[in-house]
Amino acid sequence: MYGRKAYQLVKEFASGEKGQLAPFNSDLFEQVVAECSQHHKELQSLIRKIEEEGLDIQTARNADYYGALIHHLALVRNKRCLMAYMYNRAEIMPSLSWKIGHVLPKEIEEKLSHSEVEYFKKHSAALKSCMSKLMVDLTVDMVPPKDPYIQVRVLDDIGEGIVLSDDRTANFVRHSMHFLKRTDAEPFISQGLMEELTS
Amino acid sequence: MAGQSNHEPSLFSAEELEFIAEDEIVDIVPNIKMGPLNLISGDFGPFTPQIVTQAPLWLAIALKKRGKCSICPPQWMSDEKLTQVLEAERQSQEISDQLPFHYVEISRLLFDHAPDNIHEIYKVRSLIEDIRNVRFHKVQTDLEAFNGRTIAVKIKNLSAMEVNIVRPFIGRALQAFLKHDSPELIPDPERVSDRTPHVVNNAPRVTGLTKVCKKCLSMESLYSTSVDEPYTVHTHSNFPKTLNR
Amino acid sequence: MASSSGMEEERDSMEDYEALISTTDVELLKRAWRNEKAAPEILRFEFQLVSRLREQIELMEDTIHDKSTSSTDPLFLSLFQMDFDRTLFLLRSYLRIRIQKIEKYMFHIRKTDELWNRLSKEEKEFTEVCIEDLKQHLEESVLSKLPATYQSILRQSVTSEKDDMVPEPELDTFVLCRSKEYLTGIQLEDGPVDDRSKLFEMEPGVLHFICYKSIKALVESGKIDLL
Repeated sequence: MYGRKAYQLVKEFASGEKGQLAPFNSDLFEQVVAECSQHHKELQSLIRKIEEEGLDIQTARNADYYGALIHHLALVRNKRCLMAYMYNRAEIMPSLSWKIGHVLPKEIEEKLSHSEVEYFKKHSAALKSCMSKLMVDLTVDMVPPKDPYIQVRVLDDIGEGIVLSDDRTANFVRHSMHFLKRTDAEPFISQGLMEELTS
Repeated sequence: MAGQSNHEPSLFSAEELEFIAEDEIVDIVPNIKMGPLNLISGDFGPFTPQIVTQAPLWLAIALKKRGKCSICPPQWMSDEKLTQVLEAERQSQEISDQLPFHYVEISRLLFDHAPDNIHEIYKVRSLIEDIRNVRFHKVQTDLEAFNGRTIAVKIKNLSAMEVNIVRPFIGRALQAFLKHDSPELIPDPERVSDRTPHVVNNAPRVTGLTKVCKKCLSMESLYSTSVDEPYTVHTHSNFPKTLNR
Repeated sequence: MASSSGMEEERDSMEDYEALISTTDVELLKRAWRNEKAAPEILRFEFQLVSRLREQIELMEDTIHDKSTSSTDPLFLSLFQMDFDRTLFLLRSYLRIRIQKIEKYMFHIRKTDELWNRLSKEEKEFTEVCIEDLKQHLEESVLSKLPATYQSILRQSVTSEKDDMVPEPELDTFVLCRSKEYLTGIQLEDGPVDDRSKLFEMEPGVLHFICYKSIKALVESGKIDLL
């Protein structure tokens, strides 16, 4: 049946997990492309036949005309499906650049066609260049910020004059309490030298 | 290039709702002396011990966390007030207008960060929980009253969180109604054979103000649509010469 | 509808206060951010607002830097830092949503003057590059393999009379909105001409779910906020 394979291709995409890429189905894809060429060949031969019979294509309404029309419509449908398949896959690439950055992990790259890999690279370069022109990194701060400071108690003498990320220095004496950036405190907390105090 | 997904990422996440609610203003009682804060988001303070002043929630919570103030819960968060609201919610199908748009987020933030400033916290917490449940049940009943004639819905007093939960559903349902009622999709068998398409209104008719669901005043279907107009199906049979190359 | 109460008075004075502080640029950006998030199409870029806020953010960054080297109270500093973080988040999120809309509707935005003129210079450049890249990808993978008369990226075939393969935002999406003032005479855009006299009213502060198309103009003129 005309259009069956193209439909399978689109269905394969649609039944996949949202936002996830399945391996590029080049086999089925090429079969649909071949079907398109076949439709076009038959379409042209029918049109030639109509012309050879001395009929005007604009007005002819015989079996050959409707045959040609069906090939045309089947071809358009196939094109739409091929484009939908490619386009929807391509739409996932930008969201990948947002989520995983500018380098494709091997396991994703394996699922892409050559052209898709190129597209990913170009698109993430475009995004990068746009952000540098805007002078704002848009890939961070995906969720609203929370109070970056936490209250901690020092459990053991860590030392004096420790320089923090905001250039301040602090004296971490045993049992002293401090308000620190979470990022500054985390290494000490994980070493068991500090504990976070919750209200 | 067919097939587009809905623009769902644009819905507000729970974190974003909380972020918005954190700009709500509350009263605080500082226990330190501190000059005015000239911030990008506004000027606050000066802060004087024991003198009530106003601050956005995020600032109030930050000061509270650092032990620099106590927060005065808003009036609606008292157990007497909430008891009244719960009573009112139970007695009427209407949703009470006594709670602010962000009541869920505000109360949760205060439970988490200023529990010691809330009088009768256990009672308050369970009252809010009960109110949420009652209201939710009402919203669900209201949704059942939707039909294909609803093209705009007025929502009284629904809170941010409640809105966020029903939003995808209402949005999609109304859109589906609109689509299925759309003349473009409904073939009229008598006209299909007609070669010259009739120009007809290709949009749902607005038949005027009808309150479909009187029983639930909180959500009124303001306008209704009808599809009694006939129309034609666009037959795709143009097939010009240009294809022959 | 509801009987007036002390609560309402409190609400009113709250609203007055909100009106007072809503003049800050952060409030304005928050409104623009919510509108942009909720609208299906790309809205006008807030040129002046964004440039004002960029200045304020830079200023705050300098302030924080200066204060952190001096012996300023760390409490003070952390509050400035939070204010800075919140504003920067809003700005980033606002710019990000717009970039993501461009990624989704680049072809449509490029060929629709009204939308194209809403973009900033950087956004325009980004759109052009995106189109070039995606076009090349689709041509290489699909279009070049099709018969010549079916190779257009915008049209299904040469028989299409207009661009019929361009993804567009759905303007009949239902959105949630709230009016700041009492609005009368909202036309439901789709309504047939003879019904246009029947107009829609919106009370201030009351939420409505409504078809975006019908209130599009009011969102653009700033009379209605999406949320």
